[in-house]
Amino acid sequence: MLISMTNEIERSKNENLLEVRNLSIYFETIDKKIKILREIDLYVKRGEVVGIVGESGSGKSTLAQAIVGVLDSPPAFVENGEIIFEGERVFPTNKKFNYRGKGINMVFQEPIVSLNPVYTVRRQIEEAMDIAGIEKDKKNRDEIIKNVLKELMIRDVEKVLESYPHQLSGGMRQRVAIAISVIQRPKLIILDEPTTGLDLIVQRQIMKLLLNLKNEINTSMILITHDLTVAANMCDRIYIMYTGRIVESGPRTNIIKDPLHPYTWMLLNSVPRGYSDSGPLKVTEGSPPDISNLPPGCTFHPRCPRVMEKCRKEVPKIRKMEGEREVACWIYE
Amino acid sequence: MNNKILEVRSISVRFKTKTKFKIILKEVERYKIAVDNVSFDVMEGDTFGLVGETGSGKSTIARTLVGIYKPFTGEIYFMGKKIDFKRKNDLLYLRKNIGIVFQDPVGSLNPKLKVREIIREGFSIEEKYSKSEQDKLIVDITRKVGLGESKLDSYPSELSGGEKQRVSLARALVTQKKILILDEPTSSLDVSIQAQILNLLRKLKSDFNLTYIFITHDLNVIRYMCNRMGVLYYGQLLETGNVKEIYESPLHPYTADLMNANLTLDSSLDFTSQYDIGEPSRKGCIYKNSCKKRFELCENPPNDVELGERKVKCWLYKNIIETQRM
Repeated sequence: MLISMTNEIERSKNENLLEVRNLSIYFETIDKKIKILREIDLYVKRGEVVGIVGESGSGKSTLAQAIVGVLDSPPAFVENGEIIFEGERVFPTNKKFNYRGKGINMVFQEPIVSLNPVYTVRRQIEEAMDIAGIEKDKKNRDEIIKNVLKELMIRDVEKVLESYPHQLSGGMRQRVAIAISVIQRPKLIILDEPTTGLDLIVQRQIMKLLLNLKNEINTSMILITHDLTVAANMCDRIYIMYTGRIVESGPRTNIIKDPLHPYTWMLLNSVPRGYSDSGPLKVTEGSPPDISNLPPGCTFHPRCPRVMEKCRKEVPKIRKMEGEREVACWIYE
Repeated sequence: MNNKILEVRSISVRFKTKTKFKIILKEVERYKIAVDNVSFDVMEGDTFGLVGETGSGKSTIARTLVGIYKPFTGEIYFMGKKIDFKRKNDLLYLRKNIGIVFQDPVGSLNPKLKVREIIREGFSIEEKYSKSEQDKLIVDITRKVGLGESKLDSYPSELSGGEKQRVSLARALVTQKKILILDEPTSSLDVSIQAQILNLLRKLKSDFNLTYIFITHDLNVIRYMCNRMGVLYYGQLLETGNVKEIYESPLHPYTADLMNANLTLDSSLDFTSQYDIGEPSRKGCIYKNSCKKRFELCENPPNDVELGERKVKCWLYKNIIETQRM
């Protein structure tokens, strides 16, 4: 009995909290099908912060929406693959929203969109608690809310609680949105560009808070961002996406210090470093291709400095490398 | 060689926020001061950076410099000539010599015009060119900003973000300018496109002999692009000086906090530094409520303290000046 229990605990420790297996999603328009995600494989362990980095149009937000289960179908259709959360298939599924609340939460980039403009902050936080079934007693509830807001470094708690979203500043709104998410103690929080558009000092603060919260309630996080510097500072592992495909993944230090894929090289070279006397940034001209009209072979080949004959014809398969790393590039064949 | 091309002398810009009619139809006007007593110099050939957070007045300064807003106090000298904001000729003189590129490439390009006509808008203040000369210059400038000639006949909606920003640049530079103001030119772009535009800006600067005023909230971009900079906080210029010196030894506590909060690829999030975010103070030093080093003197508004080429608005450095005098 005891042995089986410890086995159970052991197993749940090793088991990945979230697994995305071979997921392909396409959008259907009137005259054509556009593939948005191609053969995505991704996992998140318990208590881990995973970054998904890509430029606009890389499909990172679609992936997030699929994981949370807010992807509208139509226009989106699943071609292949599934998403497993705690051993249970959550996407595609007929059951709707069964794991939202206590399981997976999402913080959107624009807090003004995710907050309801006609309710006070207090009411919205309480609504979140109702859904998750946390603490019915009014006094204790107040205590919990105030503690969470204080942790988020909101000073004038009473005033913020009685405000409507439009009365708050951008940083404050984002903190309220994060409070609504964390008060439910979810197992996984998906953060879609949580700090873009915020002031530097507030951004730094929110990142710190999120990591503190992670340590406190052992939540896993998926951080979606276009900013490698943010990912480099927050994540344990990073996935790099380009035109709907994961081109490289690995632990943070490896990605930043020793990137494998030429696209990752370019992303890293794009970050301005040094003073005005340093040389030009090493990027190639051109922009990401139109997702409905991708070039054949490796989609990065028109911008790639190390392009070979093979890259123009065949799509590189993702390939396991040393130390939990993966890369999809013909250089490493 | 290094002449002052632009001198900004304690300008303030305010906006009317409320007009109330009281009992005897007496008008009470309220103002929001967006830029408060700001002075700085821009030398010829400089890339002068203005950094600040939301609401710090950096865009207001940019727009004042091209005459979109009018300061209610203070003076601006351009190439030694004082600009009178009430005289139309003076404003034209400003606009002929100072170009501006806005952050939002979608909002600043007319969606109903083709790229060729958008760039032609740049000639509206210069009447000396004939139509054929204009056409030649347009083709010339599109090539210089790295835009294919084929794009001249497309509409802005057919272009990508980076291409739109190149069109904005072309429109600003199609006639000869002395200063180009760049108001967050890369903020809405992807990182790899941002890098392309930054490279292009550096190239254009030497091609056209330009002086840049570069406005951004991104400290990595400022460091990479600018040689001198100013730090703005709620309308006040707290520190100005050489970029390298400011990055290596920030003087004002706010600058120090900013530098500390900046993320780079090699930085690591430390959990020790605490930021105390307070509202900007109405009385005394504006950063008083958030400052870790505040003391009694901060209840009074500080004056600019000049330390060599640097200027800082903080009471901490008052004593240094006094000892220097003795």
